[in-house]
Amino acid sequence: MDFGYSAAEQAFAAEVRAFLRAHPPEAFPPDGTDAGYGSGAHSRAFTAALGERGWLSLTWPRAHGGQERPMGFQLVLLEELAAAGAPFGPLAGCLQVAESIIRYGSATLQREIMPQVARGLATFWQGYSEPGAGSDLLALATRARLDGDHWVLDGRKIWSSHAGIATYGTVLARTDPASSRSRGLSMLMVDNRLPGMDVRPIRSLTGQVYHYEVFMDGVRVPHDWVLGKPGEGFGQLLRGLDTDRFWGRFYKAPFLHRILGLLVEYVRAEKPGDAVARHRLAHAATEIAALRALFHRAAWLIEQGLPATGPVSAAKVMADELGQRVLSLGMELLGPYGVLRAGSRWAKLRGEIEHQYQTSWGHTLAGGTSEIQRTTIAVRALGLPAEPRGRG
Amino acid sequence: MDLSFSPAQQILQQSARTFLQQRCPLERVQELALDPRGFAADLWKEIAALGWPGLLISPDLGGSGGSVADALALVEELGRACCPSPFIASAVIATGVLGAAGGPRARALLAALAVGERICTLAVLEQSGRLAPEALTLPVAAPGRLTGRKLFVPDAHVATDVIVLGRGAAGPAALLLPMNRAGISARPLDSMTGDKLFELNFVDVEIRRDDLLGAPGDGWALLGPAFRVGALARSAEMVGAAQRVLELCVEHARVRVQGGRPIGGYQAIQHACADLYRDVESARWLTWEAEWKLAAGRPDAHAAVAAAKAYAAEASLRVARRGHQIMGAIGYSEEHPLHLFHKRVLAASLDAGDSTSHLEAVAKSIGLA
Repeated sequence: MDFGYSAAEQAFAAEVRAFLRAHPPEAFPPDGTDAGYGSGAHSRAFTAALGERGWLSLTWPRAHGGQERPMGFQLVLLEELAAAGAPFGPLAGCLQVAESIIRYGSATLQREIMPQVARGLATFWQGYSEPGAGSDLLALATRARLDGDHWVLDGRKIWSSHAGIATYGTVLARTDPASSRSRGLSMLMVDNRLPGMDVRPIRSLTGQVYHYEVFMDGVRVPHDWVLGKPGEGFGQLLRGLDTDRFWGRFYKAPFLHRILGLLVEYVRAEKPGDAVARHRLAHAATEIAALRALFHRAAWLIEQGLPATGPVSAAKVMADELGQRVLSLGMELLGPYGVLRAGSRWAKLRGEIEHQYQTSWGHTLAGGTSEIQRTTIAVRALGLPAEPRGRG
Repeated sequence: MDLSFSPAQQILQQSARTFLQQRCPLERVQELALDPRGFAADLWKEIAALGWPGLLISPDLGGSGGSVADALALVEELGRACCPSPFIASAVIATGVLGAAGGPRARALLAALAVGERICTLAVLEQSGRLAPEALTLPVAAPGRLTGRKLFVPDAHVATDVIVLGRGAAGPAALLLPMNRAGISARPLDSMTGDKLFELNFVDVEIRRDDLLGAPGDGWALLGPAFRVGALARSAEMVGAAQRVLELCVEHARVRVQGGRPIGGYQAIQHACADLYRDVESARWLTWEAEWKLAAGRPDAHAAVAAAKAYAAEASLRVARRGHQIMGAIGYSEEHPLHLFHKRVLAASLDAGDSTSHLEAVAKSIGLA
């Protein structure tokens, strides 16, 4: 077994670190107010800087303007960005959409969107959840009907991260009105600037805006902005689910390692000799290391084209719940200082812990709740019988 | 990155699994756990014939010169079968100490260990229960006389030789003694884990110059690397046992019907099984990553082994404890094998450094001196 990065991947890691030293995260203005779930802020400027270096198209086929690098390059990039606290919020979305367009996109989408993704000029939101369709996604009510050479999109999506500051969304809609559940759904690529789009911010419990509600009223989407064949949207979603969840959380171990480093720094300075703090931080370090190993196992399975649902869902559950534990530990260690916000005169560790603590409570809900992940592991990886579905 | 087992490791694992299914089924494990002697001499003889005790011994001494990774692949299967044997104590840790020490005595013993003629155990812990060089107080001198006591010595009833750690004038010292040396006696400790642990008493035992392993003061340096490999082996054993608990629970959840359907169709049980899966997988790959770091000689290898042992212990114990809840009342009975795995994990979690000592090493590695 070999858990190491290749010499070329290590050289790339050094290159990314050098770039981050020369372009510290603070140098890039965030577009939104909420730095998200530890994946860093949404920064168009930073995304463009990554694009300039060709770092958004590392693994794409050459035919799509990519560099056909091994997957390890992408792992290295995310680990280094997370370790530095860079504003790479849009990155996972870019990777996911690029993969979908390469696999399912029309010539038009490939021609129009891919170069923008590669250059970091486009960022994305996902339109899956609806007010009446959360964990039961198939209850969704958004519809699109073909009218000439356009889809006419009507419906309402909710909890879409970045939707108000991103360029395009991928919207799951029912395109066959006679269908039900998993049939007759299609994935449409939607330009935020189209008439009929109304994107409204949802203020979260952090006091900042991370999610949006998207109202679509007669939005006319060109017919070839559908991904794959109409009616195949849910199959695409399922096939992409493992990699979506993987790339949506892979950065978590290095992110938590960075948080751990901050807490170690704090304890050294403020509570030297605190044996309980020392023990709990060491314990957290073992869990973060285990999380990283589990993600690397999942990465290897994905790279080999082997089934990865079990390890990916397990890694997501663990990433999000461990995140809550580590940030809760942080709040405890900081004591009364923990609740002071960034910018507050007496805030410790730049007020980062309180913010990440609050955002950690959204992470076990986003991208498929921990309950959904556990059911997925039980049914798809362990072969336990699915719970009977209720009517409706 | 390559997270696959080599073809040789796959063959080793597969043949070990088949052998253990046939020769060490759970009924046998149960029998051995209840037997105060708890040693299957016939099974150990067959294991020796397969060459397992010589896996980590060099070919010039009759071993097969395998890697630590090979040993872990095998130990995971021993854990999966819950097979009680002196393998880790003798063929991993003691073998490691003897290999590092070298010299005619150690080499002669290694040659005998390789063919299963002899079994070697270690006497390290004292009343403090701490695995640390400063916790060694047993006064040793070679030549000299040895009087004192060691605790938690595994398999002393079947071992032919023992490596005794003590404190010499130059620091920690390791002695190699035959168990039948006059003045050495073993008294069993009554442990709930079913592992055979002993109090080893030394009364005016004659110590010769050539009983000393390595140079004076080398004791801890000889022991450290062997215990790191031992910690990895115990981690792999726990992962194997936890894997089997997961399989037992999933099987039970599939066939046990309540309320008109298998209990595995209820989310409460599904989610518990999912947590077992997460714990087994994360512990397994952290263990293998630590093995890779150790083999590659990376500077963070020691901390990685410590983290793997502490985490594998925590995760595997969680699996065993949650397993009882999934299995329900039947898993609480003595005849059901679940408690055997639970106790095996508990025993392994305490050997080759308990979690407190490993977390101490992890704390240092993250900058908390």
